[in-house]
Amino acid sequence: MVWFFAIDEIELGEGGKKPLLVEGEKLLLIRQEGGFYAISNKCPHMDCPLSKGTLEGFVIKCPCHDWLFDIRSGEFLNAREIKVPAYGTKVAEGKVYVNMER
Amino acid sequence: MKKVVMYTLSTCPWCMRAKKFFREKDIPFEYIDYDKADEGTRRSIREDCLSHGEEMSFPFVKIGEDVVVGYNPQKYSSLLNLSEG
Amino acid sequence: MSVDTEKRMEQFRTMFQRVIDPLGYKFSPDTELVDFLLEQEVLLEKEKGNPYCPCQGLTGEREHDMQLVCPCIPFHREHFDAMKRCWCGLYVHKDVDDPDSLVQISKKEFEASRTKV
Repeated sequence: MVWFFAIDEIELGEGGKKPLLVEGEKLLLIRQEGGFYAISNKCPHMDCPLSKGTLEGFVIKCPCHDWLFDIRSGEFLNAREIKVPAYGTKVAEGKVYVNMER
Repeated sequence: MKKVVMYTLSTCPWCMRAKKFFREKDIPFEYIDYDKADEGTRRSIREDCLSHGEEMSFPFVKIGEDVVVGYNPQKYSSLLNLSEG
Repeated sequence: MSVDTEKRMEQFRTMFQRVIDPLGYKFSPDTELVDFLLEQEVLLEKEKGNPYCPCQGLTGEREHDMQLVCPCIPFHREHFDAMKRCWCGLYVHKDVDDPDSLVQISKKEFEASRTKV
């Protein structure tokens, strides 16, 4: 496991999302129902920034063409073989870490 | 001879092939490019496609009372009683 | 064809390959057709903002039109799987060597064949 510091827990409120650069990767960190979820910020369709999309529950909608992804698994809801890369997260002592090994 | 009317798109190679097919067989046809048509025409084309239980997939070819969606020379030929080739 | 158009076509090739591969599709071996369709998509993107399918009609309603942005396979999967190609023929199933042997089956014909089973 290769854990990298992302943000302080208090920086992101419930239902919030924040684009981050971790180890050169454009990530999107989301806090939902008490958990933290990290996915690539680039839509696997045409690289649009998912941070500009809308979040409803555990589903984020890409702002460009409305593709829907489950932020927990990264799966595209219309074809689950297509995924936006999803990364593990953990919280320790008020800090959020992302596991960059997928 | 049955009347041939086509709905097409100016960007669609299968629409071009369909037009070429009828031209080469010397069969007169009319066509409307949906993407170049005015709003009213577009609406009526859409309604026509939907009324046949189809989506707006082009070419949409009407041969007499029959409809063929897609480029299908075999179906065009058989509806027009043409010999193949 | 302008340099910009060619460049964008190459970008589409790279991005769309990534999408279609896990779905079991590849670019058609008919390279002339592929080049033509990709060029149309670049022109459609310039004109309408998105690389829409060159062979299906837009209505102007977002929900409808977004399902026609290339590659539109995810939104028409069963229908396209039955034809072993997408509607415009830009993509075919990976095992297809002779794309000319494939025929377009309309939505209605496809639905009818499904209810027969």
